[in-house]
Amino acid sequence: MNRNLVRALLIAGLALSFGAGSFRYSIGDLSDAGPGLFPLMISALLLAVSLMMIARSRYESAVPIEIGMKRISLVLGGLIGFVLVSKAVGVIGGIVALVFVTALAGRSYSWRRNLQVSIALIAVAFALQSLLGLNIGLY
Amino acid sequence: MDVLQNLAMGFEHALTLQNLMYCAIGCVVGTLVGLLPGLGPLATISLLLPLTYSIPVNGALIMLAGIYYGAQYGDSVSAITMKIPHASSIVTCIDGYQLTLKRQTGLALFTAGISSFIGGTVAIVVLAWLTPLLGRVAFMLGPADYCMLMLFGFMCVSVVTTGSVLNGLAMCFVGVLLAQVGTDVQSGVQRFTFNLDTLYDGINLVSVALGCFGIAEITKNLDEGEERSPFNGEIHLIPSWANFKRIMPSALRGSLVGSILGVLPGGGATVAQFVSYAFEKKTSKYRREIGSGAIEGVAGPAAADEAAARTSFIPLMSIGIPENAVTALMMAAFIIKGVQPGPNMIEKNPDLFWGLVASMWIGNCFLLLLNVPLVRIWLSVFKIPYGVLFPSILFFCCIGTFSINNNLNDIFVTVAFGFVGYILMRLSLDPSPLMLGFILGPMLEENFRRAMLLSRGSFEVFVTRPISATLLALVVALTLVGVVGALRAGRRGGLAERHPPPPPDCETNTPPSAMVI
Repeated sequence: MNRNLVRALLIAGLALSFGAGSFRYSIGDLSDAGPGLFPLMISALLLAVSLMMIARSRYESAVPIEIGMKRISLVLGGLIGFVLVSKAVGVIGGIVALVFVTALAGRSYSWRRNLQVSIALIAVAFALQSLLGLNIGLY
Repeated sequence: MDVLQNLAMGFEHALTLQNLMYCAIGCVVGTLVGLLPGLGPLATISLLLPLTYSIPVNGALIMLAGIYYGAQYGDSVSAITMKIPHASSIVTCIDGYQLTLKRQTGLALFTAGISSFIGGTVAIVVLAWLTPLLGRVAFMLGPADYCMLMLFGFMCVSVVTTGSVLNGLAMCFVGVLLAQVGTDVQSGVQRFTFNLDTLYDGINLVSVALGCFGIAEITKNLDEGEERSPFNGEIHLIPSWANFKRIMPSALRGSLVGSILGVLPGGGATVAQFVSYAFEKKTSKYRREIGSGAIEGVAGPAAADEAAARTSFIPLMSIGIPENAVTALMMAAFIIKGVQPGPNMIEKNPDLFWGLVASMWIGNCFLLLLNVPLVRIWLSVFKIPYGVLFPSILFFCCIGTFSINNNLNDIFVTVAFGFVGYILMRLSLDPSPLMLGFILGPMLEENFRRAMLLSRGSFEVFVTRPISATLLALVVALTLVGVVGALRAGRRGGLAERHPPPPPDCETNTPPSAMVI
């Protein structure tokens, strides 16, 4: 896929999504703007920009797009795991889940290192709770 | 002479042992939160605000202010060494990180530290001498002027960060649209919230910043197999005389730009550093090097950022209107302590006002000490292997997001923006303009609606007011410069993007030598 065209289409898609969504709210007129008017105007400007980007991409050399989903999935999965486990058993469990899942995205994996990092971060979490009064629900 | 007498009185208050201690605590905490990705001054001041109930009013405000401007110093360290900036070091990150890649981290850190000191000092002079006058400048701006000022900021950002007006403007507008999510303040209507409680108050700035910059950058480093940060832990801090001579003019120019823009609501530190960067690119003797690791690219924005952070207190203290989220929190702290910021504050509480001004300069000296000779201590955190560091950074991202509303669900929004930031990075779309659009979006809408209301729906208001018309002319001029540049590039054999792409490390942030459409 051509990166230049894909980004232009992505921007166009965003403009159309927000523009279409604006019509769900009152538009009003310029002197008495409704909540939909401003997002509609910005969406129109964004669509114009994206059309120019599409036109420009026709004259540019195609640049292949490279997106590797493995590591971003592991990083985001670790963060989601942190939230879900924290809700279920508390932030201590969440920290362990975060460290052990996201470490899979690294080049090397060590249980011992992950355990040490988890313990250090749990200590930091205790410090944040006791010193700053942050109510993070450790367990 | 009155000012000098008042400053002397201020130093008398600020130099008490108790206030010195609060100032030092504020500076140390500020530097630390600036350094650590995931905790910014906004989150920290929010967290510490309840703790200041039992502290005397002068000490509490001196400490909170120290956190704010201390974080401006500290975040340039993580931006330069790790390319993980907060909003206030986005521009310093561009050339600072390039210097790190060239193994000149010490020079970049020294430049950022000394420039911030110069910026802070100049801004304090401005703050002390020109508060009433600059307060009146802000009064002169109407809604149409604010709109044009923000559009001008968008153009500057587009030119500076991406080199492509179209890409930059697109990201600015996406940012403005994202800022529409939440409750419309004028009608109370929920816009683009999909009935999700988390989005009722809008998308959190911290989520966008941590997602687009922190998480995306970590994933990029992992994709590229970087087990360590490019910073190798070795720094040589003292620059050569030739390099030192290059710092001073840029820092002074940045200080002036920051002092002026900091006072304008909507301007502030973010716009100031972008304008300073653009200014350096136009005026510096070494402008051709800017973008690929030039001292001027660090000195100007760092000084502008620090100066703007200080002068952003002027609207708060002279008019009583905070211009950004952090000064809004500071206003809350003032009110909690029974002090109403505004025109009467200086007369009613001169010891508080002048004590705060004096403490800012004392804090400046503390921060210079912390961020130049003692920076090695702070940097020891970056000697940790990346395999240990990145889960820790992700944890701080979680805590930073959670601490805003004490809501774990907010982390899902950060996760979503982590994905968005990663995709944008892979599409060579710089998220910096998106951030600016997101921050200024609500103010742009409010002022646009107000301008249209006052002009009964006529766009003439943008050309009949001198300030607005001048800014509009600048926006048009920048657009024309872009068109002419693109035509010239086309004549030379096609658009700039036909040339081989730059190396991946500087792909998204390095402005090409010619601005393209």
